[in-house]
Amino acid sequence: MKGEPVLRVRDARRHYVSGDSVVRALDGVSFEINPGEVVGILGPSGSGKSTLLLIAGLLEPPTAGEVFIRDRCVSSVGADLDSLRDFRRDNIGFVFQKANLIPFLSAVENVALALEIDDVPSRPARAYAEHLLESVDLAHRIDNLPTRLSGGEQQRVAVARALANDPALILADEPTAALDSVRGRQVIGLFRQIADTRQAAVAVVTHDPRVLDLFDRTIELRDGRIVAEKPLSADGNNSLQNATAAQDRSQ
Amino acid sequence: MNLGLKDVHHNLGRFIMTAAGVAFLVTASIGMIGLYRGIVADALLVIESIGADLWVVQGGRSGPFSESSAIASDMDRRVEGVAGVATVRRFVQISQQFEHEGRSHRASLTGLDYPLDNGAWVPLVAGRHLKSGHFEAIADRSIGLVLGERVRLGLDEFTIVGLTRGMVDMGGDGLLFVTVNDAASIAQRRTSEEVLLARSTAGRSGQGSLSGSSVAQDSKIAAVLVTLNPAADVASVRRAIMAWGDANVLSRAEQQSLLLDQRLWRLRVQILAFTSVLLVVMAIVISLIIYMLTMEKRHQIAMLKLIGARNRVIVAMIVEQAYLIGAGGLALGLVLANIIFPYFPRRVVIDPGDIAQLGAAMAVICGFASFLGISRALKVRAQEVLS
Repeated sequence: MKGEPVLRVRDARRHYVSGDSVVRALDGVSFEINPGEVVGILGPSGSGKSTLLLIAGLLEPPTAGEVFIRDRCVSSVGADLDSLRDFRRDNIGFVFQKANLIPFLSAVENVALALEIDDVPSRPARAYAEHLLESVDLAHRIDNLPTRLSGGEQQRVAVARALANDPALILADEPTAALDSVRGRQVIGLFRQIADTRQAAVAVVTHDPRVLDLFDRTIELRDGRIVAEKPLSADGNNSLQNATAAQDRSQ
Repeated sequence: MNLGLKDVHHNLGRFIMTAAGVAFLVTASIGMIGLYRGIVADALLVIESIGADLWVVQGGRSGPFSESSAIASDMDRRVEGVAGVATVRRFVQISQQFEHEGRSHRASLTGLDYPLDNGAWVPLVAGRHLKSGHFEAIADRSIGLVLGERVRLGLDEFTIVGLTRGMVDMGGDGLLFVTVNDAASIAQRRTSEEVLLARSTAGRSGQGSLSGSSVAQDSKIAAVLVTLNPAADVASVRRAIMAWGDANVLSRAEQQSLLLDQRLWRLRVQILAFTSVLLVVMAIVISLIIYMLTMEKRHQIAMLKLIGARNRVIVAMIVEQAYLIGAGGLALGLVLANIIFPYFPRRVVIDPGDIAQLGAAMAVICGFASFLGISRALKVRAQEVLS
């Protein structure tokens, strides 16, 4: 991919002391994500995917190593992450398995909130939020409360909210886990579209083999280490997807 | 975007229920403070309304409100002769229980020294003041009598010619105004046996009576109310009367002080202590409510932090909700108090100054509750969104 990397993680480690033993949740992980790139982070439970997302998202400091966003070292050992809240707001968008919408705000208010807390006046914030919701095909649902939206619609609102501040990096943790395959592909397709149109870097932690063909690249973690980093094959598949498909056929 | 208001609007039912809970505590606090004010107002009612500069009471006593007092029935004539005295009136007040139409009534029988005093200082809500020296009465509505009704007091029947509202003694019994002479004769009513026993005792001892009656006549006059000439020297009037030895002189301020600082002191402290307890309970309840509301919102607060909300956004949401609950509770409590307390048997005074102070106390309580909620909210970490 072109341009300097949006996210660069260098030798990131995260160790937890549990009683007499040390849990190595992340053990020397280094990778980069470039503008316009959608990267899938794969691996079994406990492999360190979510820890990697927390460190990359400036939600936890690494025990060792550094995190660079747009070539700026923003997190390292003992970093005060609370002071990075403004930086996080302007540079990183988050999407999770659960949409985590504010239940007492309508769809458009949930999106506009992300702008208003960045000091955008309420009227333009709402107008831009409506535009974002239109772009995720939710123009007809803007005034609905989250309880009146389906799981897929809630997730699309969460994506719109993540896009509100036009972040350079979008981090998603199992965004398709609660969705059916059609909706799941729609959400990853949305990330693909965002990466293409906004040149954002997108990292998606997922277990979902149905969407692997939509990634530019996959990074596979196991026991806190990167065990495989594979680009998308020419036919639109990668080896992991092929393996999963083979497993499905055998079953 | 006002997150506090949005949340309240979304959870309106819960907000109303919460505010109603706080409102009942506020109502109870207004009631306690109002009861205190009511007792003070009732106690001072006669002293302040009757318009006396000095009260001449039994020597060595501080009657008639803080302790009993009985003075000679001709004391008013003596006081009238003191230089500087403009007018004098006799004062009688006796608790009375009587039957009327099969029901038991209580009243505080208060004598008006007719014709000097026809009760013009008594505010009427219906009827008129006294026009006759006998058998007419002005009754407070709380006694349960109506205009024109005839009621038997002592050996005579009295017609209710006027009605008052809120004229009660410090015990809460409604005042029933009659002339001093009627009040004295009602108070001096005796059974036949009492009369016979008294005559028999008088015969054996050979004692006569100044009143010419064979039955001893105790004076029922409790005090003489003195109005001074504008130029009178209060100290010299007081000195002249005190020199007789059988009378004590109290100013209006002394009567008020005796009532509030002596007779009602324990009751006042008790009510104020109970009000303080209520305020503490209110503080604890509101703090717990705000703390629980904050705990409920941990996930949303974590989300707000995750998307980069500054602390002031979260603080504003908590503070707004705390103060909305406080203001809602105060307003609802005030409405409830105004609806409920007029039906209470004792006067409950809802004083704007007290409400302002209660509002200030509520503001402090909400501030403290907000502080608890905020201190918890600021400990929430953005990554709790993932939990």
